Amino acid sequence: MKINSYHRPTTLEEAQRILRELGANGLPLAGATSHAFMKGPEEKAAVDLAWIGYDRIERGGSAFVIGANTRVADLQAYHAPGWVLDRVALRFVSQPIRGMTTIGGNVARVFPWNDFPVALLALGAELVIAGDQKVAHAAETYFKGQPARLYQPGDLLVEIHVPVLAPGCGFGYHKETVVNMDFSLLTLAAWMKLEKRTIAAVRVAAGAGLPLPARLTALEGALVGQTVSTETIQAAVAGQLDAVKWKGGDGFSDAYIRQLAKAHLEDVLIEAWQGAKGGAA
Amino acid sequence: MKIQFTLNGEARSIEIAVHAKLSDVLRQLGCASVKMGCNEGACGSCAVMLNGRLVNSCLAYAAQADKGIVETVESVGSLDHPHAIQTALVEAGAVQCGYCMPGMIMAAKALFDRNPSPTDEELAIHLDGQLCRCTGYEKIQTALRNVAAAGREQAQ
Repeated sequence: MKINSYHRPTTLEEAQRILRELGANGLPLAGATSHAFMKGPEEKAAVDLAWIGYDRIERGGSAFVIGANTRVADLQAYHAPGWVLDRVALRFVSQPIRGMTTIGGNVARVFPWNDFPVALLALGAELVIAGDQKVAHAAETYFKGQPARLYQPGDLLVEIHVPVLAPGCGFGYHKETVVNMDFSLLTLAAWMKLEKRTIAAVRVAAGAGLPLPARLTALEGALVGQTVSTETIQAAVAGQLDAVKWKGGDGFSDAYIRQLAKAHLEDVLIEAWQGAKGGAA
Repeated sequence: MKIQFTLNGEARSIEIAVHAKLSDVLRQLGCASVKMGCNEGACGSCAVMLNGRLVNSCLAYAAQADKGIVETVESVGSLDHPHAIQTALVEAGAVQCGYCMPGMIMAAKALFDRNPSPTDEELAIHLDGQLCRCTGYEKIQTALRNVAAAGREQAQ
């Protein structure tokens, strides 16, 4: 892929207009760190979204409102009660890449190994696409397939709403790589709400070990209503591990990823439980 | 296309191919410190500051720097008056072939400019994109710990 022209809109409306005019030839730049890996003779007109705003994090009621153009380094540096995406950001490739990549770029097109979809699925986030009007999609809907199916020409992702982690809720996140900077072999995230010692609600999501990031609903069903303990978690994971088909790759077998999932699902759920026990993780 | 930007404090203007990478253009402008190690954002030897952020210049389009501010290691210290990070690296014997050093220094400076006394963990996190094939990192870490310790002393 090669860019043959460069556009720098300064408002959302200007970016949308340019992208509509360019049609299939238009390519939004949302950090552009993946372009080095997009080979082939295809040529595109780049529309740089870095100057249209939507590049900050604000607390709005019970959710954090994250502009789609917010850099991963800013997610890493942000701290507030109930904020957990700094933990996801810290495991994201490397500092210079975190300084370039935007959260919008990481979720606008989904690969199996993308980091943020897994965390956003577990946290119950909403993703807001701006077309003629703004439409919010639940993460579960948004990541059901390639998000491109939800976009009309000129539509852009503008915000991601992530619920504040409330007291009594916890979050766990694990990303397995061969070396720190690698693409993920397996990414897991869990959100858990406890009422006394009962699991009142839980969301578990996985990526990299599946064709696309997804919720593990059978495992969630096995956990809700249970009295939380290490044994309960181990039994639920063991019972529901094969409800999904784990997928290897890059020299790692399906069986290896399945075993990795078994160990780390337990870990990630225990981490969420410990966070829920101690208040906001 | 023509871009204009501030490079190491100096206004520069250059005609570029629209798909040119920032690393290529910086080298064209004489910044030999910008090393082309992997060309895919893995080694950090091309790391520079773009508008106050550490970035891999091999992954950035030069067009993205238009009307912006770029800093390379050429703007950090001099032979007569090295930056504290450079002095610490030399004193610790942390420089062998030196290929990674421009990126390493820019990454460290990006951190120390915001936080003069980072912890070991913060140092590890902020240098996680800088590879060195010679030193095994121990002496680099020692040097940067010394800079951090000096920062703590100054703060007291």
